[in-house]
Amino acid sequence: MSGYGRPEENTLGTIIGKRGRPKPSSSPAARALRKASSGGASVGTGFLGVGAGIAAAIAVMGGLVLFASRFSTYPNVLPAAFAWLLLCLMLIIVGVIISIAGERMPPWLFAVFLVSLAVVIALDFIAIWPQHNIGAHATASVIASYGLLVAVTLRPAKEIFISLGVVGAVFVAAILLTTPLTRENLPAQLAIIAAALAPPSFATWLVVYFRKIVQRELDRVLVQSTVSAPRFAVGMMASEELARLDLAAEELFDSVASGRAKLPLDPKTASLAASLATELRLHLIEGRRETWLYHAITESEQLGKSVTLSDPSSLAGLLEPKQRDALLSSVWLLVTEKSQDRATVHVTLGPVSAAPRESHDNMVTVPIAIATTGVARNRVDPATWGYLAQLGAHTNSTENSSLRVEIDCEVANPADQYHAEQTVQR
Amino acid sequence: MTMVHVELISKERDRLLHRATRFMGITMTIVTFLGLSIPGIVDPTSFLAMGLLLVLLIVSLMRLGSNHAIVWVLLGLSSGIAVLVIAQLPFVTENREGLATVLIPLAGGTLAVFAMVLTHTVTRVVILCVAFGASLWLIFLIAGTGDILGFAVGTVLVGWAISTFAGVWITASIPRAARRIHSIGRAHRAERQASETEAQRRQSARLLHDTVLATLTLLAHSGVGVTASALRAQAGEDAQLLRQLRLGGSGNPQDLAPTSTGSVPITSPDDAILGTTLESVKQRFGRMGLEVSWHGTGQVLLPGDVLDAFLLALAECLENVRRHAGVTEAHVTITDDETTVRAMVTDSGIGFDVKDIDSARLGLKDSVIGRLGEVGGTARLFSSPGSGTTVVLEVPK
Repeated sequence: MSGYGRPEENTLGTIIGKRGRPKPSSSPAARALRKASSGGASVGTGFLGVGAGIAAAIAVMGGLVLFASRFSTYPNVLPAAFAWLLLCLMLIIVGVIISIAGERMPPWLFAVFLVSLAVVIALDFIAIWPQHNIGAHATASVIASYGLLVAVTLRPAKEIFISLGVVGAVFVAAILLTTPLTRENLPAQLAIIAAALAPPSFATWLVVYFRKIVQRELDRVLVQSTVSAPRFAVGMMASEELARLDLAAEELFDSVASGRAKLPLDPKTASLAASLATELRLHLIEGRRETWLYHAITESEQLGKSVTLSDPSSLAGLLEPKQRDALLSSVWLLVTEKSQDRATVHVTLGPVSAAPRESHDNMVTVPIAIATTGVARNRVDPATWGYLAQLGAHTNSTENSSLRVEIDCEVANPADQYHAEQTVQR
Repeated sequence: MTMVHVELISKERDRLLHRATRFMGITMTIVTFLGLSIPGIVDPTSFLAMGLLLVLLIVSLMRLGSNHAIVWVLLGLSSGIAVLVIAQLPFVTENREGLATVLIPLAGGTLAVFAMVLTHTVTRVVILCVAFGASLWLIFLIAGTGDILGFAVGTVLVGWAISTFAGVWITASIPRAARRIHSIGRAHRAERQASETEAQRRQSARLLHDTVLATLTLLAHSGVGVTASALRAQAGEDAQLLRQLRLGGSGNPQDLAPTSTGSVPITSPDDAILGTTLESVKQRFGRMGLEVSWHGTGQVLLPGDVLDAFLLALAECLENVRRHAGVTEAHVTITDDETTVRAMVTDSGIGFDVKDIDSARLGLKDSVIGRLGEVGGTARLFSSPGSGTTVVLEVPK
């Protein structure tokens, strides 16, 4: 049989089984990030990486001045000088390779770099070993760990942290082996370990944090594209899925028509046909019923894990783009503001009351309730209230020590809209 | 870029810088505290005073992480500088060099990381310069070597340089990343619209999907009840339709079926002639063992969506005949007047009592009544056991 694959279990995925979240690996944000970072460093970290390189250069210059000032104190200056030469050379070579190769650092290059840094540390220790005071005399070995800054945006943070851990262990071992610890020399040992480890660790932490921000902003921007969607939409994932199912069916039919698949079909192929039919039917029925808000929540990693929605009448679809943006933004701020807490939000739209208040002609009021857990009223980002005001008149209260907001959102009456369209058409 | 976006980005930038300052500042303060607690570095009274000031420094850093007010920067810097001021007093220690060394993490670490949040306004830059000058001068006094480029002074200088540079660089990085994200977002919006259009196109090819589903169902039952050659022909035709859909056609069978009458609809491109498509329905059922005889007019023009619904409902009725009636022949009579097109599907099969059979069970509710209802049509069912079944379908013109 040819190239069609058996569809994965439950390809509506998220939609039929758990009405929940997509697999993170396939979420649009993750995909867009992968696409954007296919050139090596991910969005914006390329520039950050250049900055890390410059910071490393500043540290090297400081270290060189220190080395020059201590030049005469070495019993044998040669290994230390070699250490500095090697460190500078490696930083220049690696910097050039990275910029030529387009901001990427393949594992072999990282390995070579690590080995040369290890040699730098070893040479420097050899030079100062006879002085029996690592803390007071180490220079190139301290700055060697700053060399890792060059790799900080190009290699996984885990690798950098492990390397720094090894450097720390080597320093502790060397100090214990060479330096008889006394009150006088202890401060220097402490300072040298802090100087070798703290700045590169901070830089790595910064890059991780920066990536997290980029990921979250990207997620938000991608989700924001739903606000211009039609009242009912199939969503990015479902439409790809439908195309995939159509293609699988086409390939199956082709192999039947050409006689490659023998009739009657073997049980495996027959059950493939059955599952294709089931999924296709579900997609055709299900697809149109979901609103932009549902898609926004399921497609977003950030919202998907903390926001639930009940909108049985699909009222979210009636909101205008500006109102949609306001609703999305306020929900977004509620769940991301205190990122370390497990805040959850439940959004309920409707039901539209039987006797609508006739405030404006052709308008209907959609009640929106935003119930939260873990969101203290006084910790809410002030911008949230601005968005809620854009959405409509709102009242807020505290329920189980968490915020609850009720909004009366005015939207154009869909029935009137329909009549208006009909009138225009005639 | 929208205003909202710019606001959010500057908020993210501030949050990143302040959290980084908190994290690094507290770490370096703890290192400083460890250094100061080495016996013999400072006398106990000074240690107590310095310890309290370091606690105040940590509190300021904690507050700074969540509340970005400048007052916490000032309080933090003041308490750190106060530690250095105490340290340079002559009676504090015998071990000047040791004290200078343990205070490097404070002067060139904790205090220096405040520089990260002090680069974006003039006032803040002034604060930065004052704090930098104070740290450098005090560590010079503490070291007491009189050496301007001594180890302690040099290290503190490098600490401030890297920290200030990091602040400036991160401040510049965030808007760059934001622009990049924004353009990805724009591309994604276009992609979403395209994918939505594509999905709508595929979903609206309902007639096509109906025959695809029917064929898949046959295949799922290993083609029982249908000859192999008929099934092959059916699969080939459907594969061709799906290919057409994939390559950008509407996927409606009439695009492919030869126009048997030779007439081309000229009133509107959306209208299609019923006759040609009826022919393809007839062929399909013919291959599956149900002979459809077709009476009445074939030259009825219908809007595309009405035609789709009408044909789907008709095909569904014929499928019911094929499955349940136990006959191999069905009659379809098409009539029309000024406002309505009517199809009567008749068979002389086993029939059933309309009262006994839930209409939902026959798939009538969704697939026939529902579909016709969407375009303003109706369906009526007449049957009794032993005397066949008649379904009347009506759609407005």
